[in-house]
Amino acid sequence: MSKLGIFDLSVRYGKVPAINDLSLQVEEGERVFISGPNGAGKSSLLNAISGAVPTSHGRIELDGDMLTGRAPEAIARLGLSMVPEGREIFGSLTVEENLRVGTGLRRDAEAVDSDMEDVFEAFPILRERRSAAAGALSGGQQQMLAIGRALMTNPKLMMVDEPSLGLAPKIVDQVYETLCQLQEERSLTLIIVEQSSLRAARVGGRMILMRGGSVVGEGNAADMVDRDALAQAYFGNPKCKEVNS
Amino acid sequence: MASKHQENRFAAYSTPIILAAILLALVLLVVAFGDKALARTAAETLIRVTLVVGLWIFVGNSGVISFGHAGYMAVGAYCSAWFTLRPQMKSLFLPDLPGWLLEAQWPVLPAAIAAGLLAAAVALLSGAAILRLSGIAASIATFAFLAIINTVYSNWEGVTGATSSVVGLPRYVDHWVALAWAVTAILAANIYANSASGLALRATREDEVAARASGINMYRHRLLSLVISGFFTGVSGALLGHSIGVLNPDSFYLGITFISLAMLVVGGIGSLSGAVIGVIVLSTVIELLVRAEQGFAIGSAEFALPSGSQEILIGLIMVLVLILRPSGLSAGREFKLRLKLPHKTLANEQIPSNRGEIK
Repeated sequence: MSKLGIFDLSVRYGKVPAINDLSLQVEEGERVFISGPNGAGKSSLLNAISGAVPTSHGRIELDGDMLTGRAPEAIARLGLSMVPEGREIFGSLTVEENLRVGTGLRRDAEAVDSDMEDVFEAFPILRERRSAAAGALSGGQQQMLAIGRALMTNPKLMMVDEPSLGLAPKIVDQVYETLCQLQEERSLTLIIVEQSSLRAARVGGRMILMRGGSVVGEGNAADMVDRDALAQAYFGNPKCKEVNS
Repeated sequence: MASKHQENRFAAYSTPIILAAILLALVLLVVAFGDKALARTAAETLIRVTLVVGLWIFVGNSGVISFGHAGYMAVGAYCSAWFTLRPQMKSLFLPDLPGWLLEAQWPVLPAAIAAGLLAAAVALLSGAAILRLSGIAASIATFAFLAIINTVYSNWEGVTGATSSVVGLPRYVDHWVALAWAVTAILAANIYANSASGLALRATREDEVAARASGINMYRHRLLSLVISGFFTGVSGALLGHSIGVLNPDSFYLGITFISLAMLVVGGIGSLSGAVIGVIVLSTVIELLVRAEQGFAIGSAEFALPSGSQEILIGLIMVLVLILRPSGLSAGREFKLRLKLPHKTLANEQIPSNRGEIK
């Protein structure tokens, strides 16, 4: 059974095409990296899936539910959680309030407490600073909080847009380690936008290469790292142009 | 842990107790040492607390500035007047009221609640339209709403008395009644701000996109807060009417809009404590300036500020606060009591761990 299905998806900003007829299947429990140069449409793809930008063509399904045309909050309620690029946390709310924001749509009150415990277990620094304003956290702590907040909605599918953006490599390691561990514990499906193919290879999973709004290559992240597919995606060659047209 | 969470809850719920205690202390001081004029000022201040706290329930949590709340005030004030005026007066001055309303003469408390409910209903209807907009567009729409209400109430001769004032309202609102409503409003505001809906709304104030990605329906929470806000604003209008005994549509227009927003900004829009402190501070300043305009004696010499200096100085204070403390006197913080519960889990929390920690 396919969990997330994207069929002939196109996204346009006015007349500017961001994604052209993209199709993609993501299986349950899978870990998928999306990589590619700037302007490849990676964030647009995530935003289209989460409903933040409208699609101009095609459809997106999650477990047989149509996502296309739904409001972002309705999509979140179907079990899809997104950590937006640039760690958009709620700065003047406390760490604990940030974590509770996403739980308003859950009916299982006890599970919320135990989930918060899990998040604190995964990121102990958040427990320590639970009463602090989220805006006062460091960049890495904010990234952890953003991930923690996404987890608190108890998602089936979690999408993280560039978790490594602006973070020290050591902290990125921690973030990935925790993400992978949480994925195992909760049989979570993960889609991660990651610019560094090296890191994706180290963490492991399927890798999708995007360029010019289309998928130009995919395969095991570990195999992709030294193939010329990468060079093709970033710099283009006649073969790539053929794929594009 | 659970106990830490309880501590935080306790701290959050201690805010209204502290605020109520401050207001009670002020009233007791006025009763003990003040004259009649000061008691009237105290009642007026407490009515403004109800108004500004009502305003804060929407503005403070949603971050959308509303210029329309004086409209809800007018709706509440006239509603309470319709229910409490003597039937003979109504058939004389407000002949176009429906028959059952002409004959109604309710006790003051049900009338005040009816005033709040009508204002809440108007908030629901107007909000359903206005809150489809966001940001500054929504604020401008609230201003348009205020203008509509003012125009209707200034011209609907047989129902509102138009620009000739409605007189003869029972003047039952003293500082005790006003205190009771102010404390009720503070309690409601605190409970709402700490509810799931209040939290969701504060999240949308910070970041609309991230809030929606967390499954928050911004429109619904904004509308709910506007309805609650409209209720207490409507009640404050009723209280104002029953405190001065006279109603005129222009008492619920630009003047009160400006002063209530000024109080919110000076006190600090980010917190309930700020809303209350703003009212107390600005009301005190206004009272002092009014007395200064009337003239005071130092020794044998009489001093008086030129009339109109009150408005100028209030404006000056607002500018100063905006420059020196842009997020208001409270800077977004609340008064809180810290309760220290014994920590069963303290040892657990102190276990050092490398995972997820930033050195």
